[in-house]
Amino acid sequence: MSTLPRSLRLVWFVTWFNVRMLLASEFFILTTFITPLIFATLGFLLFHAGGETAGQTLLYVALGSGMMGVWSTTLFGCGGAIAWQRWEGTLELLVTAPSRYDHILAGQTFGAVVLGFYGIVATLAWGALLFGMPIAATFPLVLPISIAAAVLALGSLGMLIATSFVLYRHANALGNLLEYPIWLVAGLLVPVTTLPLWVQAIGWLLAPKWGMDAIRGAAIGSSPPWLSIGMCLVLAVVYYVAARVMLRVVLDKARRDATLALR
Amino acid sequence: MTAAALSAPVHTSSGPRTAWRLFWYGGRMSYGMLFNWARPSIYIPTLIGGPTFQLFFFASLGSYASGRSPAYFAIGNAVQVSALAGVFGMTMAIANERWFGTLPALLATPANRGALFAGRFLPFIANGLFVSVYAMAVGVIFLGVRLDLATIGVVALALLTTVFSCTAIGSLQGAISLRLRDGLFGANLIMMSILLFCGVNVPVADLPGWLQVISNLLPFTHGLEAVRQAADGAGLGQVGGLIATEALIGLAYAAAGFGLFSFFERSARANATLDVR
Repeated sequence: MSTLPRSLRLVWFVTWFNVRMLLASEFFILTTFITPLIFATLGFLLFHAGGETAGQTLLYVALGSGMMGVWSTTLFGCGGAIAWQRWEGTLELLVTAPSRYDHILAGQTFGAVVLGFYGIVATLAWGALLFGMPIAATFPLVLPISIAAAVLALGSLGMLIATSFVLYRHANALGNLLEYPIWLVAGLLVPVTTLPLWVQAIGWLLAPKWGMDAIRGAAIGSSPPWLSIGMCLVLAVVYYVAARVMLRVVLDKARRDATLALR
Repeated sequence: MTAAALSAPVHTSSGPRTAWRLFWYGGRMSYGMLFNWARPSIYIPTLIGGPTFQLFFFASLGSYASGRSPAYFAIGNAVQVSALAGVFGMTMAIANERWFGTLPALLATPANRGALFAGRFLPFIANGLFVSVYAMAVGVIFLGVRLDLATIGVVALALLTTVFSCTAIGSLQGAISLRLRDGLFGANLIMMSILLFCGVNVPVADLPGWLQVISNLLPFTHGLEAVRQAADGAGLGQVGGLIATEALIGLAYAAAGFGLFSFFERSARANATLDVR
């Protein structure tokens, strides 16, 4: 039986534990810190070639590239979360521990998302240092709320990814498949209005799209992004409920078939 | 395994027929055994699905941001995706010998090292060509890529040379990975560098001068330019120099890869670190 403060403490502890674990991985260092810088540079050069050199455009690119890193870290960090526990032999211990497993998994996925957000800081610094990008926000007081909403939505989506991808034997291959399409559909560097309507509709269901809109709205928007923040919170609840259901199905099946620890 | 066996010189050449068998069958086996992605459940999402979306992403981003035609970005990325097979494949084909525990057995044989090393190239060149041709077809069907039929042979030659040189840098990364904890980190960095430096999305001429120096030292830059010009109708006389430069760069990387592989073998024997991870 766990009370709310105990649960929050558990999620908090696992989040930071996982951030430290991922920081020891060269792959996640690359995904979180280096890849967004490469994409930011590409974005800056491409927009420069198109004659777009305004500070707001640079900020648009830096935020979008940073969010691309957040999505990659979420995708790979959460997609393989349960599979790694299986490989390391800790899954059975965690599932049978008195603490609720969904809280442990939540901490793990939030850890990946929080690490991903360091990438946004890296792209902002990169843009400011190399391309003279101004660092300013139209609604500085709304910005932390936007970031918190985006973290919540992406963390919950991460839980759903973790519980779904475990059904596929090669979660990393799914990660390789889903990086580019979500970058595109969520409008991270290209406005979704340039895409066909049916593609835009897919984006409406995705946390990266609303998270990006919330952060961009607070940084360079003309009005506070309350709708996007609200959508982040709604999606966070929907993803979390779906992930809980999925987790129960997956764990029940694994217990019934005695396959919890099988690789 | 005895110390004497480990320290004995093992490089022998047992005739061209043995070398050919080692080159041909050894290469095929290395693909099947050491390339982690050589199964449909990984191959299709990674080498078919990923490149497809990469083309659409950069065609959308590039045409929106710079105003260039989507076909420009489609061609660049269609050639670049061959690096998935070439760079990652060759890295795995060499470095996985160590991780799967087969390296000591391999190096204990008197097999011709040149044939053994060169044999690994062929399956990954074929694989890279397949991925690139597939991506090019996606570009032709969906993104407005047009190839001049009169010079399609020159496009094919330029593409083959480019895929070879990218496989060659993969072999160098594979050799480096024999000493690293995570060889795929370097492979990922090479992939990213190609995207940024080699004219895949941003013309080399638009890059700052110091970045252009790096561009000219990397594979892809000259080969991709040859593919672009040949697709527009340039003949072998016009792009032959670019193709030759690309081939030379590829040969240089392959020689560096083989040299490093041989150096690490000698060093591992001398220091008894063959199997140390």
